[in-house]
Amino acid sequence: MGDSQYSFSLTTFSPSGKLVQIEHALTAVGSGQTSLGIKAVNGVVIATEKKLPSILVDETSVQKIQSLTPNIGVVYSGMGPDSRVLVRKSRKQAEQYYRLYKEPIPVTQLVRETATVMQEFTQSGGVRPFGVSLLVAGYDDKGPQLYQVDPSGSYFSWKASAMGKNVSNAKAFLEKRYTEDMELDDAVHTAILTLKEGFEGQISGKNIEIGVIDSKRIFKVLSPSEVEDYLQEVE
Amino acid sequence: MSRFEESAPARGGFSFDLCKRNEMLMQKGLKPSSYLKTGTTIVGLVFQDGVILGADTRATEGPIVADKNCEKIHYMAPNIYCCGAGTAADTEAVTDMVSSQLKLHRFHTGRESRVVTALTLLKSHLFSYQGHVSAALVLGGVDVTGPHLHTIYPHGSTDTLPFATMGSGSLAAMAIFESKYREGLTRDEGVKLVAEAICSGIFNDLGSGSNVDVCVITKGNREYLRNYMLPNPRTYVSEKGYSFSKKTEVLLTKITPLRELVEVIEGGDAMEE
Repeated sequence: MGDSQYSFSLTTFSPSGKLVQIEHALTAVGSGQTSLGIKAVNGVVIATEKKLPSILVDETSVQKIQSLTPNIGVVYSGMGPDSRVLVRKSRKQAEQYYRLYKEPIPVTQLVRETATVMQEFTQSGGVRPFGVSLLVAGYDDKGPQLYQVDPSGSYFSWKASAMGKNVSNAKAFLEKRYTEDMELDDAVHTAILTLKEGFEGQISGKNIEIGVIDSKRIFKVLSPSEVEDYLQEVE
Repeated sequence: MSRFEESAPARGGFSFDLCKRNEMLMQKGLKPSSYLKTGTTIVGLVFQDGVILGADTRATEGPIVADKNCEKIHYMAPNIYCCGAGTAADTEAVTDMVSSQLKLHRFHTGRESRVVTALTLLKSHLFSYQGHVSAALVLGGVDVTGPHLHTIYPHGSTDTLPFATMGSGSLAAMAIFESKYREGLTRDEGVKLVAEAICSGIFNDLGSGSNVDVCVITKGNREYLRNYMLPNPRTYVSEKGYSFSKKTEVLLTKITPLRELVEVIEGGDAMEE
């Protein structure tokens, strides 16, 4: 209504007090492929659908889950190229922190710095907000942690969360299934089941991606065969 | 205000603004402030399974030994190490910075770092500072293309060699290498030769001393042998301490104040207003 007149410019508030471009960015995220994360007692798991536009695409060349530091990993929902830029900036910030303090960056600090970058792009001229929400999973001295960062630059800590197309069903499923004393293996199974809920077609090790971090504090993306093993266990 | 613009440092990098002034001062006789140098012996050689690096552990500040057991073999990547001679701050900073850049590069490519990558990053940095970064390095490592050993000079030139020495003790160490090096050494022979070369530097060069550090890098593995040899052990004061027998006995303690001499000036001039 009155909002539409203010929806073209990022740096102008609408009369209802919203920045409409950011709302649109969240819509872009909402139409991206589902991804989710679950925090267990002894680790964190993040997972995403990896639906490729055609069977001719070489799926081994696509990796949606990336590591930012040896003990922090990230998955996104929304525009892939935007997430690449954020991953690059976050890795550099983590390395700069290490050079300055000679300490691996704590998860909250890295999330805060990434969120700051995303916020800068909502308050500058000539740029647009990032069309991705990130789920950051890490394990540091404070234990396992899971954070979600939105295009507006706000971030939240979650016990379990989902983003993308199937967000409402996935979140409802997670609310039912999540328990405080979940172990990492249970969390992986729950993640697979949640993805399976809204999955169109046959789920396999080639069209989902799972990343885990355990108490050894090394973030690892599971290989397709390892994912297949977990899928077999769930069946 | 133009005054503030001049005093603000340029964006990043070394500011050469004061170099002309410093040269003028030196011509007038001002001695530059001394900095911590590693008058050093650093060596590297390629053996059949990889690369062995060696270094002494003395850091000097002019004629004084500033650090008796410093670390001159710096980490660059899990499969690449670098020995540094020259100004200690320069070698530390440059290897730290390139190690950081290599780490980011590993994240972006998902691959093990290559020795030539480290070499190129180091030499471009040193060249852009035109020799003012006084770091002479021996870079060695094993990557997918095999074992590599390079030397890097402060102005940015590099050599690729099967055996190399740098630092003030380099001639002493090179004498050992030139007479005893051959291709296809085993690990034990290689380590022994490196230790011998460093010892030659330690005993024959004033700028090198204390202990021997060795680092053996092979495909998929590296052993950092800190203080591999300690040929200069310190003999410490015995734990029992010293006991001095009493030869004199105090009989009396008396304090005699000296008489104060006070001069009284009569009829001195009054203070002038």
